[in-house]
Amino acid sequence: MIFPHAPILAIVIPLFAAFLIPIISIIAKRFGAERMRGGWSPPWGINLSINGLNLLIALIIASIGSLVAIYSVVSMERDNGLDKYYTLLLLVIVGCMGVALTGDIFNLYVFFEIMSISAYALVAFRRNWGSIEAGIKYLIIGSLGTAFILLGIALAYGLVGSLNIADLTGKITEIGATQPLPVIIPLMLTLFIAGFGIKIAMVPMHAWLPDAYQAAPSAISALLAGATTAIGLYAMLRISYMLFGAVAIGTMFIILGLITMVAGGLMALVQQDLKRLLAYSGISQMGYVLLGVGFATAAGIQGGLFHLLNNAIYKVLLFMCAGAIIYRVGTSNMDKLGGLGKNMPITATLFIIGGLAISGVPPFNGFASKWMIYVAGIEAGQAITYASTAIAVIMSALTLAYFLKAINLIFLGQRPMHLREVKEAPPLMLFPMLILAVLCVVLGILPGLGIDLVQPAQSALGVI
Amino acid sequence: MEFGPGIWGPIAATVLMLLGAIIGYLVLIISRRYIVPKPSSEKLKTYACGEELKPEEAHFDSEHFYSAVRRVFKPFYKYVQPKHSGILSTYLLWVVIGFFIVLIAVTLSLR
Amino acid sequence: MSLNYIIAMLLFTLGIYCLLFKRNLIKMIIGLQVMTNGLHLFLISLGYRTDGIAPILSSQMLAGNGAANFAALAVDPVPQALVLTSIVINICTMALALSLAIYAYRHYGTLNPFEIRRLRG
Repeated sequence: MIFPHAPILAIVIPLFAAFLIPIISIIAKRFGAERMRGGWSPPWGINLSINGLNLLIALIIASIGSLVAIYSVVSMERDNGLDKYYTLLLLVIVGCMGVALTGDIFNLYVFFEIMSISAYALVAFRRNWGSIEAGIKYLIIGSLGTAFILLGIALAYGLVGSLNIADLTGKITEIGATQPLPVIIPLMLTLFIAGFGIKIAMVPMHAWLPDAYQAAPSAISALLAGATTAIGLYAMLRISYMLFGAVAIGTMFIILGLITMVAGGLMALVQQDLKRLLAYSGISQMGYVLLGVGFATAAGIQGGLFHLLNNAIYKVLLFMCAGAIIYRVGTSNMDKLGGLGKNMPITATLFIIGGLAISGVPPFNGFASKWMIYVAGIEAGQAITYASTAIAVIMSALTLAYFLKAINLIFLGQRPMHLREVKEAPPLMLFPMLILAVLCVVLGILPGLGIDLVQPAQSALGVI
Repeated sequence: MEFGPGIWGPIAATVLMLLGAIIGYLVLIISRRYIVPKPSSEKLKTYACGEELKPEEAHFDSEHFYSAVRRVFKPFYKYVQPKHSGILSTYLLWVVIGFFIVLIAVTLSLR
Repeated sequence: MSLNYIIAMLLFTLGIYCLLFKRNLIKMIIGLQVMTNGLHLFLISLGYRTDGIAPILSSQMLAGNGAANFAALAVDPVPQALVLTSIVINICTMALALSLAIYAYRHYGTLNPFEIRRLRG
């Protein structure tokens, strides 16, 4: 009698729990219990640790996850097996939140694997030839990455004997202060950077990303572009800047960021498929974030993290617009589209807002974060930072170039005969896109809001 | 926000941009008083080397949209783009090569 | 250096070689498994103590030798827990990889990664 209605418990239980939590906290404070734990205090137990950086990333994951879930109600309605889809979607979000909030490095690895394996399965969800090929490539390259991370964790445990991140930070700083540096520390740092670099698609390790984003269902491309790249970058920053305290590798991040930016942008100029163009554009934007973070000054890291937040907002918006076009027309090949601006005016406006925001046109949010990165580059004062700022400005212009190409080929121009009957996207699909576009405009007009979010994150990283 | 010698005020900038857009639009409306000579309809048809082509079938090719930019960045498109060949083993080789590059870079910067 | 570590790193390198240079998806998946087995061997060897006893605490152990003595004699249990978790994760990944390989054979007719390349550029 209750079983047909059992799925509603997934909503009712968190709802009641959410209202019970303040009551529990009052009771706990009254009785002096500080934290719920299984009896093991850190560093022998696993704990969650919250600081400004965690909160920023958890905010990104939670909002992107909920918006993608609303969007996929409509965009996946023609598929079957949707119960498994939502299970995997929730597992990806669980994995991302776990990586963001944990304070134990092996726990980070376990949640990272949960997120990655669910993502591999979701990319191959539709089981046509493209999804299977993209899923295989993503799986094999991603497994190599997580094997590197596991080797890094094994070396860390062997060197120091602890797995808690705060504990590891202290012990590795002690070891790092001794001269000469033991040979094992650059090897560990490299393993972590290579492993997480595969996830964020840094340039020699980016090759899986265009195939995966092209072949996945559009809601999943949006989730991967917004959430998992943010998680990869968060993990890389936390390990290299907080755990190892290795600010000196900032120059390497600048050079890798420049190569990523240029390669992603130039490959995006000649694409025929809309989702592949957006995927290469995502690689290019992560290059900007690496550039900002590599400057290793307060302004640079703030600019880089703000650009990460903005990238999550407008990349998810653009992938959702691409999903709306595919839902109505059936193809994303730009040679076969044209003149859809009359049929889908709202989608066209939102795509143009997203395209202008990603190119750094004021008054959208991309301009504020790119401006911070440029100013940080000039203020840093070395020759390499001047050159990198110049290259970043040129690549920003090329970003606008390929977005204008996309807008022109899809929405303007002559409409082919077979696209006369295309209707606007359904309102439930437009709702998350509208929220993201409003966020783009609001963060652009009031960038102080973004800087308020990013300032605690930068001071938590401990780099000045 | 103040940055060195410059000031960026987003609200002021947005208002100025909207004002500029409104003034531009007013200028455009005023300029429409005069009759602009229009070419005949024969001139407006798409030229398809003498064939009869309906306007709905003519579409700009997305591959050659930026042929001028391609010519400028010729070394990239001749050497790097074909390497993205779609073969999984090549991509894995890049990952391992990237690992060694990062290893050398980290060892050099941490010394 | 103990023989275990050398063999573990050798397995890791052989696994990477197999992943890079073999022309069959099933062989690449086997290479991935060899690589992770090398990692597991490395992890377990980290916790080993010569002439150690298994880290299972029983009431006889506590009564007879005392807890501190037990801690001085037992092999480290933490890497064993890490390896168990990692083995379970790898079973998941391998199951997913093999099912994707079955679908790839159905769609492409071959398992050669040099021929599964319709998505390119």
